[in-house]
Amino acid sequence: MFKNHLNIAWRTIKKDKLFTFIKIGGFAVGIAACLLIALFIRNEVSYDEHYANKDQIYRVVFQGEVQGEVMKSTHFQLPFADALQSDFPEITKAGKVNTIEIFGAGKRGMRVNGQKENTFEENFVLADQETFDILEIQLQEGNPQTALSRPSSIVMSRSKADKYFPNGDALQQTIFLDNDTSKPYTVTGIMEDVPENSHLDFDFLLPIEDTNQNWTNQNYFTYVLVNPNTDIPALEQKMSLIVEKYIIPAQIKRGRSADFIDVLRTAEYKLQPVTDIYLKSDLKMQDGLKHGDIKFVWLFAAIAIFVLLLAVINFINLSTAKSANRAKEVGLRKTIGAFRNNLVGQFLTESVIFSIISFVLGVVLAWALLPTFNQIAAKNMELPLSAWWFLPILFAAGVLVGILAGLYPAFYLSAFRPVNVLKGTLSVGSKSGRLRSGLVIFQFTTSVILIIGTLIIYRQMDFIVSKELGYDKERVVVLEGTNILGNKMEAFKEQLAELSQVKSVTATNYLPIDGGSRNGNTFMVDGQDDGGRGVPAQKWRVDYDYINTLGIQLKAGRGFSKEFAYDSINSIVINSKMASELGLKDPIGKKLDNNSQIFTIIGVIEDFHFKSLKEDISSLSLVIGKDVGAVSVKLEKGNPAEALASVEQVWNRTIPNQALNYTFLEEEFTQMHADVQRMGSIFNSFALFAILVACLGLFALSAFMVEQRRKEISIRRVLGAPFKNIYQLLTLDFLKLVVISIGIAIPIGWYLMNRWLEGFAYHINIGWEIFSLAALIALGVAIVTISYQSIGAALLKPTKGLRTE
Amino acid sequence: MLLELNNIFKWVTTGGQRIFLLKDINLQVEQGEFISVMGPSGSGKSTLLNVIGMLDTFDEGEYNFMDESVYSLKEKHRANLYKQYIGFVFQSYHLLDDLTVQENLEMPLIYKKVKGSERKAMVADMLDRFNIVGKKDLFPAQLSGGQQQLVGVARALIANPKLILADEPTGNLNSKQGEEIMELFKQLNEEGVTIIQVTHSEKNAEYGSRIINLLDGRMV
Ligand SMILES: Nc1ncnc2c1ncn2[C@@H]1O[C@H](COP(=O)(O)OP(=O)(O)OP(=O)(O)O)[C@@H](O)[C@H]1O
Ligand SMILES: [Mg+2]
Repeated sequence: MFKNHLNIAWRTIKKDKLFTFIKIGGFAVGIAACLLIALFIRNEVSYDEHYANKDQIYRVVFQGEVQGEVMKSTHFQLPFADALQSDFPEITKAGKVNTIEIFGAGKRGMRVNGQKENTFEENFVLADQETFDILEIQLQEGNPQTALSRPSSIVMSRSKADKYFPNGDALQQTIFLDNDTSKPYTVTGIMEDVPENSHLDFDFLLPIEDTNQNWTNQNYFTYVLVNPNTDIPALEQKMSLIVEKYIIPAQIKRGRSADFIDVLRTAEYKLQPVTDIYLKSDLKMQDGLKHGDIKFVWLFAAIAIFVLLLAVINFINLSTAKSANRAKEVGLRKTIGAFRNNLVGQFLTESVIFSIISFVLGVVLAWALLPTFNQIAAKNMELPLSAWWFLPILFAAGVLVGILAGLYPAFYLSAFRPVNVLKGTLSVGSKSGRLRSGLVIFQFTTSVILIIGTLIIYRQMDFIVSKELGYDKERVVVLEGTNILGNKMEAFKEQLAELSQVKSVTATNYLPIDGGSRNGNTFMVDGQDDGGRGVPAQKWRVDYDYINTLGIQLKAGRGFSKEFAYDSINSIVINSKMASELGLKDPIGKKLDNNSQIFTIIGVIEDFHFKSLKEDISSLSLVIGKDVGAVSVKLEKGNPAEALASVEQVWNRTIPNQALNYTFLEEEFTQMHADVQRMGSIFNSFALFAILVACLGLFALSAFMVEQRRKEISIRRVLGAPFKNIYQLLTLDFLKLVVISIGIAIPIGWYLMNRWLEGFAYHINIGWEIFSLAALIALGVAIVTISYQSIGAALLKPTKGLRTE
Repeated sequence: MLLELNNIFKWVTTGGQRIFLLKDINLQVEQGEFISVMGPSGSGKSTLLNVIGMLDTFDEGEYNFMDESVYSLKEKHRANLYKQYIGFVFQSYHLLDDLTVQENLEMPLIYKKVKGSERKAMVADMLDRFNIVGKKDLFPAQLSGGQQQLVGVARALIANPKLILADEPTGNLNSKQGEEIMELFKQLNEEGVTIIQVTHSEKNAEYGSRIINLLDGRMV
């Protein structure tokens, strides 16, 4: 019996190649899309799952209320970690990590003792010995107990060690950073490479050499390892004691007002599980780490389910669509002795076989598309083909989906009464017609929603990239790793400024891009005691040419100038937002208090976007200061390659033994929105998948519809119906469904996409043109697919349709 | 007595009105009879045959098949009954297009759960008997109408039915092909198979031992 079922299934495939192709192919495409999305989601949620003690590792988050606004931060004072470890028995270990460039993290020029060339390396992180244990850093060589306990130690990853010491003798070698031969570092450990799915990514670890045990500067991530079964909320509550015990005394000592101290008392500490850091962090914390977005994980999961659903519906649709042709077979089989369960078995077998073939093809397709997908998603994913569970699960899923998809057609078809079929009175179209119309509408509605989503995401990306930013990102080259210039900085800047291709030069790493320095402070209008709350604002250390190099617009007053000696001491330039936050109508000349230091406002600049466009512009101020992490060069119009060559010459003259590293501000800006853009591209590719699946379904359905009416069409043709008449007859029915779908899809798409756009502080408004475009695309696709079928049928020789009856 | 129809009525209701398709049919068929049903188009011949073959239901009256009352049987039981004892032959052959001649013949046996080796033997037997061994691997579309009907009859016979119901078996055939089929029926009948056929041809009707005439659903 089973062999017979197989035989029939095979013959069915051979007989209807186009149908089979669409049925299996469409399903396979759906499965491939689902697999890729599943891989992506699996990767996103796998972050930091590799720690053996992952349930006991937390990152501390500070949460306080400033002017009614909740402020969160992940940076703490140097003694904070030690205090946690000594004051709370639940905390076994507390460690600190510093990722801030001015402390020596981030990008450094690196040179092995005895070699001439410096190499630019990007992934330096400062950490203490406790962090070593908490984050379970695995040392392959060196002593894990002491690797970071002494100053001037350096621990590097296996792959970096192999790169710099191919002979395998890295341990105890000497290394210079940023050309500084006065401070040789000794390699004290070789660690395993940090897994790609870690929230904290580093190739080099340096010890924390900061010894300033003050309770006011906040520069360190703090990680804790707690005892198993610790009551976390209770511990968080207790941790507030730190504020009373250490922070308030320190601030009082600094002469803070009582009101300021009251604000401090609202502070709370939260423990964030290490596995939540990547996906579930509040991005406003600006911890400078790479993050995923749990919202996107949900969105993609929803798309995966939709695509699979569409594919399964197609599959069911196509199977029942064929029922007209198979009704006769069913009737016949029954008259010659088939029982209902024989037929159910036959149809289910067929469905399962198709399903399994589709799964196999789907896996192959996913495998073939994975490299491209990895590129789009900036990941390194692999199909877990060798995992013991992978193939069995897929096989089981194939059987299950096959049975589910086959159930309806199987019972529907096997219920035909032979007499009806044989008499030809059975009209397969009518009863199942409504259901099928419903499925077509569902299918098309989903597609139109996805089209709307795709269009809006595309428009939003475009909007972000071309948004007026308040500064001019064009033709600005950012030279990196300029710490190495040391005291040659001023001369270097001057030489660059003298080049004819260079308009101006500024040295600072406080740039409106990711990886630019940030420095949160609190300002108060001097003498105006408003309860001491103050305004939180960025305080950026820049030089005299910053404002014109970045093309920032002055709104009032003036920029910094060397003509005024005091500019380098106590002049400050603020942005419009800050002026209004401070409640200053006429800010020029007003005095501001920052940590008891008094600044005079000399200028107000227009707001410019220095964070991702997901966020509002917040208060920002500029002061003259030294920050040498990067040098930005604004080029004159003209050939940038030539200009760069000149810049490089100057660099090589100044620093002969390290290659110049540079990027363009514009690129960096794009990078800053890379996550949004990446998510957008992923969404769009999957939307495309879904639409493709839906179109295949439509194509097949229209083919079926035409086939079903072939006899009618032939008769009409014999009776002299013109081509136009038949074309309309076939097309209009279908278009009606499409129009209904569009009507349903527009409000849903509008609602969903509005929710998405709300995540952006600056976003487009959804206008009718988007819906019109989506409707046009949907109608276009529908008309093309249907026309292809209808025209074929309308031109058919009438005798052909009749002869087969 | 193979089967017995007593006061059978069948109707359909359209617009609140009953339209009778069969009216007061009384018919007794003995084992080994060869009956021809005749009548003008639309007189209810096919309907009667379908009722006898249990493919269709009736609304009133009594129908006993091999001493079982068909009316009171459950649908499934009824299906079992016809599957076991009745073979059908159709005007338009109704072979399974996707199956070869051999597979078409095999199908009823598979459903009856006849064992593979036995099945092969029975099919070979039948192919031999109908002289179509050479065609066993062809699909229906590759056969002439007469050959297809030959396969149709062979398929009806293969499960050893007591009764063959044939609705215009020669309707689509030329007279020579039709004659062959009729000769075949005659021979089968002589071997003991009961046959009820519907036909429009006086000549074919003569093959039967008894002719029933229908007019507007009534026997005349
Ligand atoms: N489901 C139905 N609803 C209404 N009328 C029906 C139905 N089935 C059959 N009829 C009618 O019953 C009558 C008998 O039909 P039947 O097919 O039995 O005729 P027939 O004698 O076999 O004719 P022919 O020689 O043309 O095959 C016809 O008038 C037909 O229109
Ligand atoms: Mg008839």
